[in-house]
Amino acid sequence: MPVAVELPSLGESVVEGTVSRWLVKEGDRVAVDQPLVEVTTDKVDAEIPAPVAGVVQKILVAEGQTVPVGAPLVMIEADAGSKLPSKPAPAPAPSVQPGANAPAREAPPATPLARRLAEEAKVDLRSVTGTGAAGRVTKQDVAQHASGRSQPAAEPAPPPAAGRAAYLSYSLQPGDRVVPMTPLRRLVAEHMVLSKRVSPHVGTVAEVDMSGVTRVRDAHKRAFEQDHDFGLSFLPFVVHATVRALREFPRLNASVLEDAIVEKKDIHIGIAVETEKGLVVPVARHADRLSLAGLAQALEDLANRARSKKLSADELKGGSFTISNPGRFGNLYGFAIINQPQVGILRMGEIVKRPVVRTLDGEDAIVIRPIMHLALSYDHRAVDGAPANGFLHRIRELLEEAEFDL
Amino acid sequence: MGRIGWREALEEQMKRVEARRAGAGPDTLLLLEHPPVITLGRRSDPAHLLESRASLAARGIEVCEAARGGSLTYHGPGQLVGYLVIDLAARGAADVHRFLRGIESDLVAATQELGVAAQVQPGRTGVFAAAAGRPRKLASIGVGLRGWVSFHGFALNVCLDPADFAPIVPCGLEGVEISSLARELGGSAPADLWERARAAVAAAFAAHWDAP
Repeated sequence: MPVAVELPSLGESVVEGTVSRWLVKEGDRVAVDQPLVEVTTDKVDAEIPAPVAGVVQKILVAEGQTVPVGAPLVMIEADAGSKLPSKPAPAPAPSVQPGANAPAREAPPATPLARRLAEEAKVDLRSVTGTGAAGRVTKQDVAQHASGRSQPAAEPAPPPAAGRAAYLSYSLQPGDRVVPMTPLRRLVAEHMVLSKRVSPHVGTVAEVDMSGVTRVRDAHKRAFEQDHDFGLSFLPFVVHATVRALREFPRLNASVLEDAIVEKKDIHIGIAVETEKGLVVPVARHADRLSLAGLAQALEDLANRARSKKLSADELKGGSFTISNPGRFGNLYGFAIINQPQVGILRMGEIVKRPVVRTLDGEDAIVIRPIMHLALSYDHRAVDGAPANGFLHRIRELLEEAEFDL
Repeated sequence: MGRIGWREALEEQMKRVEARRAGAGPDTLLLLEHPPVITLGRRSDPAHLLESRASLAARGIEVCEAARGGSLTYHGPGQLVGYLVIDLAARGAADVHRFLRGIESDLVAATQELGVAAQVQPGRTGVFAAAAGRPRKLASIGVGLRGWVSFHGFALNVCLDPADFAPIVPCGLEGVEISSLARELGGSAPADLWERARAAVAAAFAAHWDAP
């Protein structure tokens, strides 16, 4: 069976490698651990060993070519019996036996009423064909079976393998466009469903006056753009305030682990980035150790590499809290779905000038201020309302005080 | 190991790498000195070799190709070469950048012990004199990995003549001056600098790698 040898992760900050020399050629026989190829990165030249014994089938990357971590380098036709790399074997598909003749069938799903009726009538549920939703045995099925009538005339419901209740299905109409899900889309979809299922989400919103942040940003904007080749956005300010608040509210920087809540030592902030391929969430590691300018740089770098697909798998893992900044227009506020296994996600709304009431010289006055709504979704398994509100309020305070050093 | 030819030292290293990979050998630091030799790393630009191989050979300088990262460099008498055969994965430190930064910090600690302030320069692997002015390079680093077992390592200029680097653009870094501990210390260099350097490097690496 062919085995792909991928460029392994050579380190946390290593995202790519250049194939400098092939030590084998197509058709060569290789032993386990035999060096296959030299890959250079920086000041290191790494020989990648064969994970299996077999025959080199196809070399996929030419010498001199640079590829990201995880890219397949070569295909090896593994010898029968050669030990495969220890990737988790795919779980065997659950054995669904829709056929009526399968030996020793499990009792099929049945409605409670049908089950009671079957018991009273001494009918073995395993011998009854279900016609209810998803193949469930109904009261009628049992009654028909008990009265000795043959198979029901009604068309049986689709077998459980089809898996969808009728109300979830849609029959295609002329002119409909069918767009198959990409693997990333499917992953995102599964993750969203999982998160909503395991985690009771609660939302809370704060209105933040961004005057202070705007002032700081305007004061440093030009100098920053000269020092860096990108602009200073509002995102690093929000991230900076959030990591400081997370230090004070460790319960929001946590995971639920069976019967315990783990408050994490390290703060790694996931940043939701929309790319042409879909949603990815690269992670700014140890975000609390970075200055505002350092954060801006790290976020810019992650976003750029997310868009050019140059992130390593490691950079998409290990976040402890997520911030989503879904764009500026038509987005007053909204509640994001928590990125499991975290317990909170903060979503930035658009910044819009609004009339607000402030007390100036002892007088209430209506003034115009740039206002942003910050929406926090939190997992009520781990976090109660008071600390969640306290956390969000602290972020608001930090942003309004705007004591940021660049 | 004293003075030993580059190819011979490579053979010795690879023997130890294979033993380490098979679990039959320990992590090792080999400290030695090479007769004059220019080695080309995998990223070497041939244009950085400024003299013809024939002319170098006539002067007794060998040119070898090395399976290590980095560009080309010169080794010769007066330069302390350290080869590290370390199973990084076994130490739970399978990260090449962390490994490079570790070697740098060990060398900075060693040179400081000898009275030479040194520093690293972000983006340029190696160890540089900390004094102001044009960067002066004291040590070069280039590492090879077979699986997660390292080989090659570093070269610290103790008392070699920086002029020996003339035939090359060292490490492909233009505008970098080569210096040595002896030159940085000037008149205050002790007579037994070589022995002291050897001891300081051995101590710094032992403190780092033999720590429990």
